[in-house]
Formats: sequence, structure tokens, C-alpha cells
Amino acid sequence: MLKTFRRTFFPAAWLGWQIESNWTDPFLFLVFSILKPIASVMILVFMYNAVSRNAADSPIYSYIYLGNAFYIYVGAVMAGGSYSILDDRERYRSLKYLYIAPINIPVYLLGRAVARFITGTIAVFITLSAGVLFFKVPLNILSINWLMLLAAMILGVACLTFMGIVLGMWTLTLRTEPWFIGEAVAAALYLFSGAIFPITILPTILQPIGFIMPMTYWLELIRRSLLGSGAAAFPTLAGFSDIQLFAILGVITLAFGLIASFAYRYFDKVARDNGMIDAQSNF
Amino acid sequence: MTITAITKTDSGWRLFLRTIIARAYPRIIGQQREKSWIFFETFLPFIATCGYVFVYRAMNAPEDYIGFVIVGGAMTAFWMNVMWSMSAQMYWEKENGNLALYIMAPNPMMAILLGMAIGGMFATTLRALVIIVLGTWFFQVHFAITSFLQLFAIFMLTMTALYGLGMVFASLFLLFGRDAWQVVNLFQEPVYFLSGFYFPVKSFGFAVALIASVLPLTLGIDAMRQLSFASGPALGFISVEIEIIALMILAVMFILLAKYALSVIERKAIEEGTLTDRRR
Amino acid sequence: MDNSAIKTESLGRIYKIRGAKKDEAKERVALLDVNLDIKRGEFFGLLGPNGAGKTTLIKILVTLLAPTSGRAFVAGYDVAKEPQTVRPRINMVSGGESSGYGLLTVRENLWMFGQFYGIDNKTTLKRIDALLDIVGLKDRANTKTSDLSTGLRQKMNVVRGFITDPEVIFLDEPTLGLDVNASRDVRNFVRHWVSEQPQRTMLLTTHYMAEADELCDRVAIINAGKVLACDSPANLKKHLQRDVIFHLDTTPLQNGALSVVKDLPGVRQATHNAVDGKSEIDLILDADNVLGSALSTLTAHGAHVINLQKREPTLEDVFVELVGMSITEAEKVTT
Repeated sequence: MLKTFRRTFFPAAWLGWQIESNWTDPFLFLVFSILKPIASVMILVFMYNAVSRNAADSPIYSYIYLGNAFYIYVGAVMAGGSYSILDDRERYRSLKYLYIAPINIPVYLLGRAVARFITGTIAVFITLSAGVLFFKVPLNILSINWLMLLAAMILGVACLTFMGIVLGMWTLTLRTEPWFIGEAVAAALYLFSGAIFPITILPTILQPIGFIMPMTYWLELIRRSLLGSGAAAFPTLAGFSDIQLFAILGVITLAFGLIASFAYRYFDKVARDNGMIDAQSNF
Repeated sequence: MTITAITKTDSGWRLFLRTIIARAYPRIIGQQREKSWIFFETFLPFIATCGYVFVYRAMNAPEDYIGFVIVGGAMTAFWMNVMWSMSAQMYWEKENGNLALYIMAPNPMMAILLGMAIGGMFATTLRALVIIVLGTWFFQVHFAITSFLQLFAIFMLTMTALYGLGMVFASLFLLFGRDAWQVVNLFQEPVYFLSGFYFPVKSFGFAVALIASVLPLTLGIDAMRQLSFASGPALGFISVEIEIIALMILAVMFILLAKYALSVIERKAIEEGTLTDRRR
Repeated sequence: MDNSAIKTESLGRIYKIRGAKKDEAKERVALLDVNLDIKRGEFFGLLGPNGAGKTTLIKILVTLLAPTSGRAFVAGYDVAKEPQTVRPRINMVSGGESSGYGLLTVRENLWMFGQFYGIDNKTTLKRIDALLDIVGLKDRANTKTSDLSTGLRQKMNVVRGFITDPEVIFLDEPTLGLDVNASRDVRNFVRHWVSEQPQRTMLLTTHYMAEADELCDRVAIINAGKVLACDSPANLKKHLQRDVIFHLDTTPLQNGALSVVKDLPGVRQATHNAVDGKSEIDLILDADNVLGSALSTLTAHGAHVINLQKREPTLEDVFVELVGMSITEAEKVTT
């Protein structure tokens, strides 16, 4: 099992990096890496400024900014699972060869996610740096709880990876316009994750959805590790201690791990039954 | 069995029209045969738009801002149709070998592109309508439309300019392939930002808003908001009349540029041999 | 009036190599000084190994690629200067590629391509039915192309090329990847087309010698971007008639044995192919009596003759004579 893992994971991670980094000259890659996340966060900054007239001291500002910054991982890691499947099936037409190789497909997706995690981290770093340097985000590097941040990142990214496997395998069974599914799901989950507004803003009937989303707890832990007591400005999860948040996130992550395992088996069968492994969706 | 002889073939505008219909056909039929797009291309984008609405709610923004987001969210459907269902589609046509057949045929490439866009128009329009209708109902948005005629004119002009711009981008795919794909991907968020999909572009200040106005959606969305909401004119960039004139100029400019770009870049792609080169 | 359907004058194409390092070649010559004159009504073959320049030539002629030197004319029009005038008059079928969209049926895909050439619906649909009947695909007309096998998709691709009734049709390895039956069906169809439409011109590229021999009025042999010979298959082979050709199967040859045989007086060409634990050798000799010294040389180098036959020259032999190696060996060099 360990042999299969090694045989699958490392080549997949290497391949993922080749694909992510090798499509153009370094300058354009740099521009791409900076411009995209900055533009995304500037939408929210200008939305905020249009209403609040530059009140960067307000807790909602840092809430929005940090939530949006770290949500980049959702697009990169979770949606990336779907994207990897489609890349291999549609663009490179190599998925069928991977499928018949003696590798583990979920581990392959995990390996492919590594490069996206790295490019996502670069984007998050750029966004945070721009926030501190230009957009008056009150982030003090000396008061960051690094241990808590690291633990939250490990658990959160693991959960996102499991969700990415579910999404990727589901994508495999779809034929029509599946390219945007990953982004569409990530965009929809934006609504329920407390990324850019507290989930108590949602209508009461929709709030429970936010409370079962792992990103809700993950982003709360991130904010607490970065802002300390400043994160308590919104009482949505104030009743939970750090340990309790970690425990909830841990349980949800485990659950998604199990779901990913079942999802892989189920969607794999559906894809084989319908001949989707080497299908082409484009029309 | 004898084969019917071809006695005449269409050319000119007749061929143009015939090509549009033929290329729209696979899109339309595909959407009938595989209906999963209804969920992904209508309901999920609506959910994503709601996210921005709730951001304004969290900030206690005036209610008209909710309407701004709904209009902006609806217009993203057209941007996506232009960029991904038309321009970037050239990349896939190259990958699956159809691009060479399109270039080799006597039909104009603009007709192929229009056919793709029109074929996707049903899904696009449905997406925009779902966002407008559900958004208006769900969030109790109050429209105060001052002129339906002007609103319609602005919408049509914006679409014309936008699709012209899309064709200019499509020509890049003939030459650059995957690099162009990444560039279009790169420009998605900057376009959302500069066009003011979710906030009034007046916030940029005059100079930046003027530069951003080269994107058809910037002026189009701004004008539509001014005509649709009570606080629209106060939060508008420039007057609706000037925006209509500017959109007319942009429409003509982009259509002419598209015609020029498609022929020049096609010629360049033929010289460099990139039309059938799948490595790019 | 010029009776040429296809004409090239000193045609050349050079590709720039992207990302070439300092010591590597920055350019690759795909075609060099190609001069062809194919008359209307001809079934013309372009024969050569992979990488010889056949597809590059076709791409230039169908206006997908510009030449870097020289000129080319199709149906009387310059392909570089008047592509829009050339395009209504041509079509192309490539082997190993699909066309159209998987979600559409065979009939729908073919109808769509017919529309791009301005053919009215009624005529298009009638032509589709007739052509599908000829290639044996009529019962699959309403099948989605994603549900077809490779061979049937290629048949559809072939029909697509003929729907528009082109003056000049280009077949670029149309039987590539097809099984024996499917290849035969495609060849029969093409033969049928030629017999029914004698004023149409066909250019076929292939590296299957037997296909060119069977179908073509004239054949040009191309290798490394250059046309080495151009004549009817019979005339090309007649050129070798004066030579004696033997085919031998022997036990595996030692290294260097073949080069010794090649150096023998009277041995014009010797090629070798190692297959299934034996060596297949083709000898082109000046005369019968040279065989003896060739055989004793092989025996002296430890090879035992398993089988020996004298045969008539084929286009493969013509290729070997012109290029100095078999088509298989030439592919190893050019790729």
C-alpha cells in the first residue's frame, strides 16, 4: 500500500507542478499570480469603501479581507480536484492511461493538489501582504499564533482535499460543460462558509447549512490565529473555544474522508458504466 | 444509390447566416441532450451572487446596492458566455481538430463565433433571468426604471460591443492556444473588478473609471443601474446619454477590430503553423 | 486554360524550433524545393515515411499553413494570396482524427459541415443519405458519434470530406488506424468516387506502399522534405525491372554482416529487418549471378538461409533504391 502511495503521489505532485508552472514565461506567470488574487480582493475592498467610506478600523473589514484571502485555498485545492480530472481527460487525454495503470486515483488527485496548494499559498501570501501594505488590514505579524495557524491549515487543507476528491470524481461522471463545476461549487459555498460575512446574516432557515460547512470553522480558526481577540468582534462562533472548533473541524474532516472513499467507489462505477473515462464533453 | 448533385451554394450573407445556424446547432442540441447545465449554470451562479448581497447586508449598505449586485451578477452570465463559450472555445476546436476544418471551409470565422455565442444564448439568458428574478424576489429589490427603451438600447449596445471584444480575444486563440486560455482566466477577476460588477465604478474616481470604460460592461452596467434604481443617477459615473454614445462607439470599434484581428491573426497563425499545432 | 488542379513551384517550408538551446538547431526544413504538377482528374499519391513532409505539403495546399518559399496553386488559385477562393473548391480528410461533436449524431454532424459550404438543407441531407449508404454507415446515421468505434468515425470523416463535392480532395492517410475491413471499405469508396467523378482530382498521402500502388495514377516519392521521383507506379517499378530483387529469411545476422554484403560488387542495395528471431533481408542486385557471392558472405558470417525467393519490384523497392533504406528505417531517421 505504501509502495502504491509513493508510486502514485510523487509523480502526480511532480506532474501537477509541471502543469501549473510551465504554461508560459516566468514574467507572465508572476503577473498571473499577483493580479488574479489582488483583483479578487479589491472587489470586496471597493464594495466596502463604496458603503463605509474607508473605515478600515471596523472589524467587518478585516473579517471580509482575511476570509476572502484564505478562501483562495478552497478554489485552489477543492476545485482543483475537478479541474485535474478534466485536464487529464479532456486536454491531455491521458486519464484512460492513468486509470489502467497500477496507481490509486484518489492519491493521484491528492498529488495533483500539491501544486495547486503551493500556487494557492503564493496567492494568499500576496493578498495578505497587499492587505497589510496597501489596504490597511490590521494584521500584526508579532501577534500571530503560528502553532494554531499551522494546525488549522493542516486540518483545513486535508478537509478541502477530501472535498476535492468528491468533486473530482463527480465531475468525471458529467458530460456537459463540467469545466466550471469546481469554481461554481466553490462560489456557491462562499455563501455558506462565513468567508466574507458572518453566517448570522443569512436568513435563519439557511444558517444551519453554514454550521455544517467545515470552512466556517476553519476560517474562524484562521481569523483567531491571525487577529487574536479581534476575531471575537462577531459572536457567531464565540461560544466555541479553540479546542472545540478544532474538534468539530476534525470530525467533519474525518467524515469527508469517509465520504470521499465512498464517493470514489460510487462515481468510479458510474463513470465506467457510462464510458466517461475517455469521453469528451466539449461542444 | 445516386448522389444528388450540388447545383448551387450560398455565399455572402446567406452563407454567413447558414453558418451561424449550423454552429449554434450543436450547442442547442447539446443543452437539450445533457441537462445537468441547468443546475450548474443557473442555480449555482445565483448562489454566488447572493454571497455579494450578504456582504452588503453585513455592512448595512443601502438597499439599492443589493440591486446593483443583482444586475452585476446577471451580467456575469454574458461575460462568461463571451469569454468561455465563444473565445476560449477556439482553443477546444483546435484540440479536437475542428478548427482546421472551419478555417478550410469558405464560411467566415465571425459567423462560427456568433453561432457559438448564439447557441449558448439560451443558457446564458436563463442564467441572467434566474439571477434577476430570484434575486429580486428573494431580496425584495425595488426597481425604479425610468426608461425601458433606453434600458433596452443600452443592453443591446453593450452586448454588441462585448461580443465584438470576445471575437478579438477569439483571434488570439488562433495564435496562442493554451497561453491565451490562461490570459483569459487571468483577466476574469480584473474584469469583474474594473467593470464594477458589484459596486459603482464612480468609486474609482474619474480617471480610473474612464480607463475602465474601454470594457463595454463598465458603461453598460453603470447605465443600466442609473436607469433601474432610485439612487442610480447619484451613484452613476457619467450621464446615461453620454454612456449610450460611448457604447455605440465601442460597439463599432470592437466589431471592426474583430474583423481585422480575425483576418490578420488567422494569416499570422497560418504563417507560423499554429492552427493545427496542439502543443500550443 | 491551365489543366493543373494542383501546382507547386519551388515550394518550401521551414519551421522555427521554439525553445531551442544554444547548440541545437533553431530551424527544421520540412519541405525543400517541391515541384509538382497534378492534372485535373488525376488520382495522385504522395508516398513517404512518417516525417517526410507529406502532411506539411497538404496543410499548405489546403490553406492551413503558409509556405516560406515558392508558390502553390490549387484549382488555379494561389493558396497563400487567394485562400478564400481556394476554400470553396477543396476538402480534406485526415486519418487518425475525429471531426464534429460527440453529442451529435452522424447525420447531424455531416449536415453541420455541409452548411459551412453553403449547401442547402435538402441537397445536403440527400447527399448524406447516399454517401452513408455507399460506405455502409446508413444504419448508424442516427447514432451519436461518441458511440461509434474508431473505424466508423473515420468512415463518417471520409463522408464529411465528400459531402461538399470538392473539385480537389486531399486524403491525408485516410486509413491510418483502421482495421483491414474498414481500410478496404474506405479504399473501395475512394475508387468508386474516382470512377463516378472523373473530373475531380484526388491527392492521397500514405506510407502504405500497397495503397498507393493500388489506387494512384501517379505517385511522388517524398523523403526528408524533397520529392525524389514522380511517375506512375508502373513506370517507377519498370525503372527497377532491370534489377534483380531477392528476399531472404535467415537466422539472425551478426553485426557488420550486412555492410559487408552491401560492399560486394553487383549488390545495389541491401536492407535488413530483424523480426521474430530471424532476419529478413531484401537484396537489389545487378544480375542473378551476384546472388552466389551474397549468400556465401552471409554464410561466412554465421547466417543460415531459411527462405529465399525472387520477386517483382514494388514501390517499397523503388523507395529503397532512391533513399538507400527501407521506409521503416527512414522513419527512424526522420522522427
